[in-house]
Amino acid sequence: MFLSNLLDSRAIIHERRILSKEQVYRLLVEKICKHHRLPICGEALTQLILERDQISSTAYASGISIPHIRMENFQDTVIGMAFLQNPLDYDGIKVHWVCLVISDKSSSKLYLNLVAALLKLSKDQDLVSRFKNSDASTVIHEINKLQIRLKQEVTIADIMVTDVVSISPDALLSELSDKFCHRNLSYIPVTDENGRYLGNVNILRLLKVGVPDYLMMLDDISFLRSYEPLEKLFEQEDVLTVGEIMDKEEEYLTPETSIPEAVFEMIQHHKRFFSVVNKDGMLVGVVTAMDIFRKVIKA
Amino acid sequence: MLLMLLALAIFGVTYLLIITEWINKMLAAMIGGFAIILTGIVSQDVAFHAIDWNVIFFLIGMMLVISVMRQTGLFMYLAIRIAKIAKGRPLMIMILMYLLTTFTSAFMGSVTTIMILVPIVLLIASELKISPVPFIITMVIASNAGGAATMIGDPPNILIGSATDYNFMDFIINLTPPILLVTIASVGLIWLLYHKAMHVSNENRAKLMSYDESMLIKNPFLLKSSIIILAAMLLAFTLQGVLHIETATIAMSAGLLLLVLSDKNKVEQILANDIDWVTIFFFMGLFMIVESLVETGFITIIADNIMKVTHSEPKATSMVILWVSSIFSAVIDNVPFVAAMIPVLEDMGVIIGNPDAMHPLWWSLSLGACLGGNGTMVGASANIVAIGIANRNGFRISFKEYTKIGAFFTFVAILISTGYILLRYY
Repeated sequence: MFLSNLLDSRAIIHERRILSKEQVYRLLVEKICKHHRLPICGEALTQLILERDQISSTAYASGISIPHIRMENFQDTVIGMAFLQNPLDYDGIKVHWVCLVISDKSSSKLYLNLVAALLKLSKDQDLVSRFKNSDASTVIHEINKLQIRLKQEVTIADIMVTDVVSISPDALLSELSDKFCHRNLSYIPVTDENGRYLGNVNILRLLKVGVPDYLMMLDDISFLRSYEPLEKLFEQEDVLTVGEIMDKEEEYLTPETSIPEAVFEMIQHHKRFFSVVNKDGMLVGVVTAMDIFRKVIKA
Repeated sequence: MLLMLLALAIFGVTYLLIITEWINKMLAAMIGGFAIILTGIVSQDVAFHAIDWNVIFFLIGMMLVISVMRQTGLFMYLAIRIAKIAKGRPLMIMILMYLLTTFTSAFMGSVTTIMILVPIVLLIASELKISPVPFIITMVIASNAGGAATMIGDPPNILIGSATDYNFMDFIINLTPPILLVTIASVGLIWLLYHKAMHVSNENRAKLMSYDESMLIKNPFLLKSSIIILAAMLLAFTLQGVLHIETATIAMSAGLLLLVLSDKNKVEQILANDIDWVTIFFFMGLFMIVESLVETGFITIIADNIMKVTHSEPKATSMVILWVSSIFSAVIDNVPFVAAMIPVLEDMGVIIGNPDAMHPLWWSLSLGACLGGNGTMVGASANIVAIGIANRNGFRISFKEYTKIGAFFTFVAILISTGYILLRYY
């Protein structure tokens, strides 16, 4: 979620007059209430802000004040901004920029992110003076250009397993089956000696070695009661290499892939595992549907 | 004249692409088909009118029938039953498989038969620990020969049946006898070639005998109803002369009825995957391209020239057609060959004048094209499919290895056909 998308140019004012805090708050409340439906509005809201100010200062050393009001059953976040040519005095801090944030009782996480983002902006003096001397839509445009994210989305990099078991394409199938067996895996990425991702190999690929192609072409093999398909697998274990049975042109994810996209890819391709490969083509992790389920959905 | 040369150039390039498979054959036929419209050789109306919808819907109908028949498990059941009746003796299995392939191809088409039966033979051969290669080669030969026996067995016959007034029974009366002779001769050749070659241990034979083929019949209702519908379809074909129902309508009726009776969840899959749309559009393209040669008069020139060589004498003409068709079909796909030959024969009919004298010419074309397909491993679709399956399972059949046997069987079959044509019609 981008900061700029939460802003509304109709709730941004530029003020040249010398005003009191109360007057600034009242102007902001007026603007916000005109365009947004709030559970509490008008003078009552202005009083709430003033009361909030009494408890502890809402001003920060960088010259911004961020009063925050939480309301029951609001289920939204609205921001009003006032840029002042004549600063307000908050116990010795000269405030040129007042940001009134009205949010729901429950959205504290978003608020904290919002404060962090606004503080960061307020520390850039050039930027703030540009804000002061422009109009509302320019402010939003400038903030939009900065692409400030409020909620840092969780990506695959946050949940993937980085301690990955991989295998070389030159490894024999016996080595592969040992890895599947002892590490309790059913999917292993294939990399070269430098860790470059080449593809992957899964347990079905290994089992397929024991099942000849013609058997797969039959419509039905229920008549075969005593066939021992894995005989061939044992014969081939020390002959075939991983490179001969691996999936070479497999989809992979990048560390930046978002969780919804990873879920989409998994469902789309009927795959419960994905290798995670960085821009340079190196394997950096593995992510499974179970990882997503446990760490994101059940978390 | 200029248009004819242009049509010939498009025809030549398209056929070259089909034969060499540099691009997908359907793509080649479609590009050729629309190129003749774009270049103004024929109008779109004429080109579309040239598409033989009787052939197209017959093919679709049969694909539906075959798809549902496959679901019943009948063909796999028969194949395993045969191996057990043969008690696992390889020569006996080979001969019975030859006969089953011949019979199935006559009614189901050669390619489908090969696709169903070759994987089972690979399994049986691997259980018996013998090479499947002789089995595969003889089954390919059986499939092309069997397809020649009926109007619905092999695409060249479907094309001929639709282009002429011959009905299903005409094909049976005229083509089944020579194919029976060819089959008897082929079984004799198999005995000569392989009766000493294959040995199987008792243990491996016992493995084969433990197959429980009854497991394959999962839906007895579908099996019974599809056998009834199949029988009704064949009966309708044999009564075509009386019923006056076109081939495509019979096949589509059977196919659609079976589709209604089959598993509801599979209908979409059958329509999307089991109808071979590549083949369907390939045929459409061919019809359009051949039409350009007819319209520009090239076909008439060819027909005139053949008649000059044979002095318009039907006996000599049919011999030329039989042998030339078999040689051509051995090296190129027989479908495009027959598609181009049909208008040539139609023109010859005009020159000869006597319709009765035309019969042996058509049967010569059919026998030459269908049986000739056995000559080399690229002669017919069934060959390419079978050898592809063998290759994927690690049994490389070289061009030479196939041709050694294929050309021999083909030569014998064409000799028998020559004798048959000469004795029966002249």
